[in-house]
Amino acid sequence: MSSVVGSGRGAVTRRRLLQTGGGLAVAGIGAGALKLPFFDAPGAQQDPASCVAGDVSSSDSSLIISNWTGYIDPRKKEKGTFQQFEDSRQITVSYTDDVNDNAEFYAKVRNQLGACEPIDRDLIVLTDWMAARMISLGWIQPLDKAKVPNLHANLIAPLRGRQWDADLSYHAPWQSGLTGIAYNAAQVGEVRSFDELLHRADLKGRVTLLSEMRDTMAFVLKVQGADPDDFTPEEWENAIEELRKVVSDGQIRSFVGNDYLNDLAAGNVVACEAWSGDVIQATFENPDIKWVVPEEGLALWSDNMLVPNLATHQANAEAWIDYYYEPEVAAKLAAWVNYICPVDGARQAMEKVDASLVDNPLIFPDEQVLAETFDFMPLDDRQSQEYEREWANVTGG
Amino acid sequence: MAETTRRKGRVGYLLILPGGLWLLLFFAFPFYSLVATSLYDPSGSDFRGYEMSYAFGNYVDVIRDYWQPMLRSLLYGATATFFCLVLGYVLAYAIAFKSGRWKVLLLVLVIAPFFTSFLIRTLSWKLLLADDGFVVDTLQFVHILGADDRLLATPFAVVAGLTYNFLPFMVLPLFASLDKIDYRLIEASGDLYANPVRAFFKVTWPLSLPGVVSGTLLTFIPAVGDFINAEILGNTNTRMIGNVIQSLFTDANDYPAAGALSVILMLMILAMVIVYVRRAGTEELL
Amino acid sequence: MSQAAEIDPAAQLDAAYDGLRLAGLTKSFAAFTAVDDLDLDVPRGSFFALLGPSGCGKTTTLRMVAGLDSPTSGTITLAGQDITRSKPYQRPVNTVFQSYALFPHLDIFENVAFGLRRRKQRDVETQVADMLDLVELGSQARKRPAQLSGGQQQRVALARALINKPEVLLLDEPLGALDLKLRRSMQIELKRIQTEVGLTFIHVTHDQEEAMTMADTVAVMNKGLIEQMGAPAELYENPRSTFVANFLGQSNLIAGTITSRASDVVTVDMHGITVSVPTGRTHTDGDAGWVGIRPEKVLIGEPGEELDAPGNTIPGGVVTDVSFVGVSTQYLVRMPWGQELQVFQQNTGRVRMFRVGESVELSWRPEYAFVLDQSQDASAGAQQVGVDG
Repeated sequence: MSSVVGSGRGAVTRRRLLQTGGGLAVAGIGAGALKLPFFDAPGAQQDPASCVAGDVSSSDSSLIISNWTGYIDPRKKEKGTFQQFEDSRQITVSYTDDVNDNAEFYAKVRNQLGACEPIDRDLIVLTDWMAARMISLGWIQPLDKAKVPNLHANLIAPLRGRQWDADLSYHAPWQSGLTGIAYNAAQVGEVRSFDELLHRADLKGRVTLLSEMRDTMAFVLKVQGADPDDFTPEEWENAIEELRKVVSDGQIRSFVGNDYLNDLAAGNVVACEAWSGDVIQATFENPDIKWVVPEEGLALWSDNMLVPNLATHQANAEAWIDYYYEPEVAAKLAAWVNYICPVDGARQAMEKVDASLVDNPLIFPDEQVLAETFDFMPLDDRQSQEYEREWANVTGG
Repeated sequence: MAETTRRKGRVGYLLILPGGLWLLLFFAFPFYSLVATSLYDPSGSDFRGYEMSYAFGNYVDVIRDYWQPMLRSLLYGATATFFCLVLGYVLAYAIAFKSGRWKVLLLVLVIAPFFTSFLIRTLSWKLLLADDGFVVDTLQFVHILGADDRLLATPFAVVAGLTYNFLPFMVLPLFASLDKIDYRLIEASGDLYANPVRAFFKVTWPLSLPGVVSGTLLTFIPAVGDFINAEILGNTNTRMIGNVIQSLFTDANDYPAAGALSVILMLMILAMVIVYVRRAGTEELL
Repeated sequence: MSQAAEIDPAAQLDAAYDGLRLAGLTKSFAAFTAVDDLDLDVPRGSFFALLGPSGCGKTTTLRMVAGLDSPTSGTITLAGQDITRSKPYQRPVNTVFQSYALFPHLDIFENVAFGLRRRKQRDVETQVADMLDLVELGSQARKRPAQLSGGQQQRVALARALINKPEVLLLDEPLGALDLKLRRSMQIELKRIQTEVGLTFIHVTHDQEEAMTMADTVAVMNKGLIEQMGAPAELYENPRSTFVANFLGQSNLIAGTITSRASDVVTVDMHGITVSVPTGRTHTDGDAGWVGIRPEKVLIGEPGEELDAPGNTIPGGVVTDVSFVGVSTQYLVRMPWGQELQVFQQNTGRVRMFRVGESVELSWRPEYAFVLDQSQDASAGAQQVGVDG
């Protein structure tokens, strides 16, 4: 599968075209959901300490990775980061871009990881909240600090100290992104805040929001004056009620996970909640599309590398992580994928790679912007289930 | 003589075996598991596990919460099936009786959309119905649509997408039925004072009923359960039951609720099919 | 063509002719002409048979009368009305189809009622019941066609057409699918019904026996043209062409030369033997002709034996084949000029049987013989007998 669609740099979208996988998951709901019909089903929690496979990295120099589509520079290119890793570390990497959607990937591996069975992958890449959930389910192996020195040395400050894995024991951000607003300047006047998205009359019916609950609710909470990093159930209720009202007023055209910038470019939509990496690509093609840092601030998120239980090449996986935290490698990668580079020093290294990108705020945002970003509070499973369901009810009419 | 009969009987059972096993493995067992899932205690989660408490209340809850998308799915499915029938009948009739040597080519064209992915086909409707697209522009120009009206992200777009995507499922059985009709019967009805309109309603239509029944079933059943069209072409108020099940399953991880909704959907469709087939009286036609 | 003489010139002039009249009817398909400039009058109330081998154009003619095919040229008039271009459902004409074409989704009653309902007739119930009684299917009214036997289906097809009391009832090989025994009884049945209802029946068939049994008038059709038309006995006894002579029964055709023509009798030299034939049975203008005689009209006897045939005696035959078929014995007799003639002798019990190799003499009465044009193929129509079509 080609990671490049179209002529530009980077990929079309990190969230792939569509959630076909969701359909498959629905089809498989009966077979896949739970194991023992008409008996209780045990929890899926595991202890990573006991669910370990022997590491065969020293004898078998291979590595199996699952990542999102279009999330790496061309693997065939000799000077590319991928070839250079294989050559310098003498490790053969089997790289698949089969992560399309966090929830869908969860459904895919749930039965195996929940029963301490191998998923035949050494490294997987998932967004913060899903990484947090998998870590708390005990499905993820801790990383050996000694083997990933670059991670600990070079990770940018705003991504450190996340509530769900404060000391980077389990995860290493692959790329980061900002959630903000994009609008089509040819169709509508400047949109400055999320509040306007939800309430401005001239945007009515021509706004899309992202379909991932945390992306959108973080902003709705902000608009309501709550802190998405730490909110109470009452604040949640207020926020979801506010959204319900906005939806029933017909302000929102739809909740989307993909393809939303095509609607923006085509004029079907005049403003939308958007991910930074997607917007870069779109502005190259259509200068009318503008990226906005909303008055409420930006949400900062990462897609994180994780080593699942029973991975057999953990040392190789750690070598990979450490390699991508070298600033030159990180710069090369960032120059291609256009997301926010999580590696300190990459900005300096970028001068040699592509000087035009050094000052691009969507790859290297200034400290001020990053310092004001927010994240979504980790939810326990009960909250998560309840909130997701309420979210589904509001967005699903 | 008796020996061969018995052996024939045994061969009959052997022939049922592969299909039977297949169904057992890929239908009966998953369905059993689905029903079981739908009865787990709603407090369960992947962290705590699921307790089998025969929670029939799950069914009450999902009906209370999701009766709207459920009704909407039936409505959209039925509307799309109706349009498929009208469009498909005309098309199948033309292919069966009027196409001459183009018959095979036309049939290939009917199934040609299957050569591309369902998703791509549905996405292309987004372009077709775009707010600045020529369809909307034309309709606005002739004042069928107002200046601020749109087609995309409306129920119209969802039903149009369903109609388009399931049309071949209607055309093929209709064609098979119509093509089988002995043209001499239509001549005979003309000979017996039926003008072409009467001949159609008294002879062609009743003889094509088996195709009408199987075509409407093949269209209605998947259309009601579809979620791709609503996802791509709809808005927040056009979500169908398939979308709800999908988001309950993959996003909310609420397996009992998703399971209960799936079972209800299946039973509802099953009941409608039984009533429909009974009323259409297909057994007598065959 | 010869049939022109059959049409009453007075009828031709009469625009109010009350029968069915086809005038100059032609149907051409891309590659061939199925019906070629056909003129035909079918008198009202007659049982008319259109007889011919498959592909002779008889079914196409029928379909044009029904309105299912439209003629390339020519006109069709029924009781003085031009119906050439009217739609099938506008014509007072009904058809019993070869395949019956019963509506499989309707029961027998509704099949029969179909035409009445389309014309919004009253007392459908009574009429259908009466009709079903006529064809003896009263007890089967609520069955589906597939539940009936072939003969019963045939009767339904007949009832369904007949109930409309059409000006003309067309029957397209209606008995073709039935076995021999059923065929015989249906032939009688059809004839009975026609006599009872008094409608015009046009019966298309390739079966000469069927045509002769049932029809008052038979038209023999060949290659899109009518070869000869008339009452069955007249056609059989006095055929005008080798095709008719062979297609209707069997004929011995012996080459001969006409030596003299008198007002009442023609003399023919037949391989040195002189035979006489009535002038009215001589259908050639030239001198070369075929002397025709039906096998059952030929008498066989020992040389010199006095046969009951004052007239033509042909000596010098040798028996080459004997077939005993019960009611008769069929002989093949080689004549001095090498031709084998067929002779059917009735088993009256008063004559003895001959054996192969015996010398015999043949004779026939002059009034049974006929003379045909020698330019016609002596075997025309012969090979087509019995070919289904």
